[in-house]
Amino acid sequence: MTRQVDDSLLKRIDAVTLSEANLAWKNAMKASPWKVFADRERWTTASWKETEGEDIQLRRAKLLEKILDNLEIKIHPFDEIVGRPTPGVIGCATAFDVCGDYIPGIWNDDGEIDATLDVTVEIGKEDLDILRSAAKMFGGKSAQEMCYKAFSEICGDWYRNVESAKLKDPSLDAMITGQATSTLSWAKILRTGLRGYIKECNAHIDAYIAGNGVDVNKVYFWRSAIIVLEATIRHAKRYAALARSMAEKSSNQHERLRLLEIAHVCEYVPENPARTFREALQSMQFCNLSKMLENPIQNNCHWGRGDQYLYRYFMEDLKNGIPLETLSSQLADLIARWGTQTFVSSASGKESHQINFGINNIMVGGLGQDQEDQSNELSYLILHLVSLLQLSAPTVGLRWNYKTPEWIMDKAIRTNMATRGGIPLFENDEVVIKNFVRDGIPFEEAVEWAGLGCVYPCIPTRAEHYGAEGIAAINLAALLHLTLHNGRDVNGSLTGLETGDPREFSNFEELYGAFLAQHKHLVYRVFRFGNIAIKEQPKYYRTPLLSILGIEASMELGQDLVIPHPDFSLFGISDRAIIDAADSLTAIKNLVFENRKLTMDELISALDNNFAGEREEEIRQICLAQPKYGNDIQEADAMVKRVSDDSAAIIKSYDNAPFRPYMIAREGLAWHYFGGLGVGALSNGRKAFEALNDGSMSPMRTADKNGPTAVLRSAISIGFDEVSYASVLNQKFSSAILRSDENIGKLIAYTNAYMGEGGSHIQYNIVDTAQLKDAQINPKDHSDLIVRIGGFSAYFTQLSDSIQNDVIYRSEFDL
Amino acid sequence: MDNLTALITNIQGYSIHDGPGIRTVVFFKGCPLRCAWCANPENLATNREVGFIAKLCTGCGRCFTACPHGAIVPGEGVYRIAREKCVSCGACVDACYYGALVRYGEPMSADEIYDKVKKDKMFYDASGGGVTVSGGEPLLYADVVRCIFEDCRKEGIDTCVETCGYVPVESFDRVLPFTNHFYYDLKLMSEKSHKDHTGVANARILDNARYLAGFNVDIIFRLPLISGVNDDEENTRRTSAFIKRLDLPIRRIELMPFHRIGSAKYDALGIPYAYAEMESMTAGEIEKVRDDYIACGIACTVST
Repeated sequence: MTRQVDDSLLKRIDAVTLSEANLAWKNAMKASPWKVFADRERWTTASWKETEGEDIQLRRAKLLEKILDNLEIKIHPFDEIVGRPTPGVIGCATAFDVCGDYIPGIWNDDGEIDATLDVTVEIGKEDLDILRSAAKMFGGKSAQEMCYKAFSEICGDWYRNVESAKLKDPSLDAMITGQATSTLSWAKILRTGLRGYIKECNAHIDAYIAGNGVDVNKVYFWRSAIIVLEATIRHAKRYAALARSMAEKSSNQHERLRLLEIAHVCEYVPENPARTFREALQSMQFCNLSKMLENPIQNNCHWGRGDQYLYRYFMEDLKNGIPLETLSSQLADLIARWGTQTFVSSASGKESHQINFGINNIMVGGLGQDQEDQSNELSYLILHLVSLLQLSAPTVGLRWNYKTPEWIMDKAIRTNMATRGGIPLFENDEVVIKNFVRDGIPFEEAVEWAGLGCVYPCIPTRAEHYGAEGIAAINLAALLHLTLHNGRDVNGSLTGLETGDPREFSNFEELYGAFLAQHKHLVYRVFRFGNIAIKEQPKYYRTPLLSILGIEASMELGQDLVIPHPDFSLFGISDRAIIDAADSLTAIKNLVFENRKLTMDELISALDNNFAGEREEEIRQICLAQPKYGNDIQEADAMVKRVSDDSAAIIKSYDNAPFRPYMIAREGLAWHYFGGLGVGALSNGRKAFEALNDGSMSPMRTADKNGPTAVLRSAISIGFDEVSYASVLNQKFSSAILRSDENIGKLIAYTNAYMGEGGSHIQYNIVDTAQLKDAQINPKDHSDLIVRIGGFSAYFTQLSDSIQNDVIYRSEFDL
Repeated sequence: MDNLTALITNIQGYSIHDGPGIRTVVFFKGCPLRCAWCANPENLATNREVGFIAKLCTGCGRCFTACPHGAIVPGEGVYRIAREKCVSCGACVDACYYGALVRYGEPMSADEIYDKVKKDKMFYDASGGGVTVSGGEPLLYADVVRCIFEDCRKEGIDTCVETCGYVPVESFDRVLPFTNHFYYDLKLMSEKSHKDHTGVANARILDNARYLAGFNVDIIFRLPLISGVNDDEENTRRTSAFIKRLDLPIRRIELMPFHRIGSAKYDALGIPYAYAEMESMTAGEIEKVRDDYIACGIACTVST
């Protein structure tokens, strides 16, 4: 049965605006400086001293307990939902206990540290002392650092060299390895409350002991879970007590009522099952908060399918007469709260990920157990609020399938327009489910998938180890660089195999074979390091809270997520820059081996000179003119498919992977800047160290000459959906394409056509004024930008300045 | 050039302003009219041309070296095309690294054009879209259009002609059996004004419109709305009266307000543009004309 939606409710949602409290928070965020708080480390260090000599599972639980019982808390005047990991409006906590001595800035004399990408914050003397003592206490002993030591034991400096040459991501420094993520078991948390979990843990301990169990680690696990669950409940009650005491002091009747309401809610959840929408949201926030305090360097808990597990609370409240505006305001609070969670990243984490917000992903729509699309009024409200909030996070994805109704597509495209694109992105539900089922996951589990990070799918019943990058992000463009330099990377180190001087190759297949040999060499070693890490990490690190609330199987197993279990674990790997590598290979095949316009020596010399010089520039132009992916040219697309299939085959051929199947996921946020730093000039015409292509299926910048539909035809033909769980295609349009209802309908049809043919993912970037202005200044980066006006179209960069200004004016007017 | 080949300046996918659904627009080169406001001057002449976009020129001089006809001359920091010597061979275009030289017009056969447009069938099917021929005046190549549309009809692809109407009536006969929609320009009702502003009289255009109305085919009239030329009440009244006299199931007109964004192409072609400094009409002025048409009983929309 197709779900019936209440059209009048959708119309009412369209009229919803941000509440005064929401706006007050937005304003407070704009006005607040980013701040690093040392308070968490005050309690990590205190706890670690107290628990010396105890089992790691209990130590980690008590560490979180200490934080939750003592951390300074605050209720802001605009809070409806309460709970933050720091007292600041935008505050970061640090994670020395997880990462070791990971923030070089704290040893500087000036007491300033890089908090995020481009924000430097001052830090007081007392706080700095706390951070330094934490760095001393945990430095060199974290799971990450111990893994590096293990790698050095086995492979010397190779690992560091490979990371330095950007052949793979710095997974450890970027806080990726060791990460086990999932959405929390939200439905169960809301249904049973944490008290329900505690009872279950106690029952397991009793039964295990009564059954003559001998593995004390299981008992430690359940005990550690009880410790952190009780502490989470107490933490909520600290907020209740704070609200009550603030209420007593307040002379404002309205304010007093607000605070008493907060106290009332925090006394009840997360301990007990949620009864209302607000209690459900508040319960989620306390669980997320504990997770963030257990490891502040990871992402928020993912929302997963919020429109599903929250739906009954939302509809019941509406039925009971709670105004839509009240519910919207509470929901907007939580979405924004998770979307503005910041952390202090390490140097390489920043470099490779370019983020300063904890990534979070809200998924809407998608098939359900009954194989029907589950989009509902709450999905609609989530999209609506995201368009009002205008934040760069969270990521919102719509699970597209053949049954996705027109009304949610319409809202999704309008949300893209309001947010200037990208939100929501569209992911092909059926492709993801098909991949999971092919790899042995039952349909009933697979159908509940949700996005992790940006586009990588995870299943709430399985632990996702190492997140979206998986065990590593492999840089195929850098592998081609190795191939062309007999195994030497951009730094000149022999990190690859000596596959021979390419000038000696007599045909293309020799070159291609060398490329695959480099690939296999890197991937196999990376897997080996994964195996080492999996054995090392549990000795130094556990996550009792994430384990007990994240994966229901942890309860049955009595086992922490950091120790992967073959039946409930998924591992990923990301092979990237396939388009860059394939276009470059096509150029070499044509120019050197087929029409012989260039010799290999000429080409490699030009690349090594970064195309500097007249003849070199000529060579670059010849390279640029070679067939490129994204134009529906069979030759170019076939090379992409070949590289894609062979890359996947190499990954799957490793027969000693820690767990199978390995999920291949081709995505990567801002990785193309980072990856580009490891690649010299390429024979696709790209200059050395420039960014690689964005996404995993997007054509080379400005190389798509045949318009957007040709890009989609190419994207369909390369068959990434057959081998990869996630792929990314970004498309850029000027705002004119969404100027009328009719045109919105056309973009829906366009999306439906692409997804219907098996497109994995698409994300629209609606070009705004700032980007048009940038195109005026940097025309070569935007030479593909088409201005469409009735009966007329032109490339933006070919217009004169004054006419460009006209177009900018029009777009301002229309947006 | 045989009659089944045409000069094409552009084939543009994902066109959304030129008929129902998602369309591919094929721009044919050559037009019998010379409207002073034209936004697509590269489609006026029936021969290939070369355009020069000065702002992208780096002054490297490769075009100068490449030109076999001495038609590239050094200028101040950049090079220029000496139009009197240029034969539009395109050697300079191939030599340019920076996109500063562009070729307008590529000879293509009907089959080649059809092979390109049919690739987007999945988008037509999803949106109720299809192929639109435009220009220039596509019916200068009526046989090519007929060939393309015959194949489209076989594949169930929707077809649309954008025409100025100034072609022999037989050209309409050639394409009528395979055409779903006509976008038909009615620029001016006054014969004299029409001749002054477009270079030709409008009698043939009006006759052809009357002829076309006798067939069961979808006609949408279009009016490029030019301030001081055809935005007066008199022209509105006469245009409305003309449309009403035709026995059409739906009487409608689409206004296409003037914009001067085409001026970049005039610069590229090195030809003067009388409307280069013309301001766009205000939203209020446009709405007034639209309301005038509606008051005359004509369904009127404004193109975006």
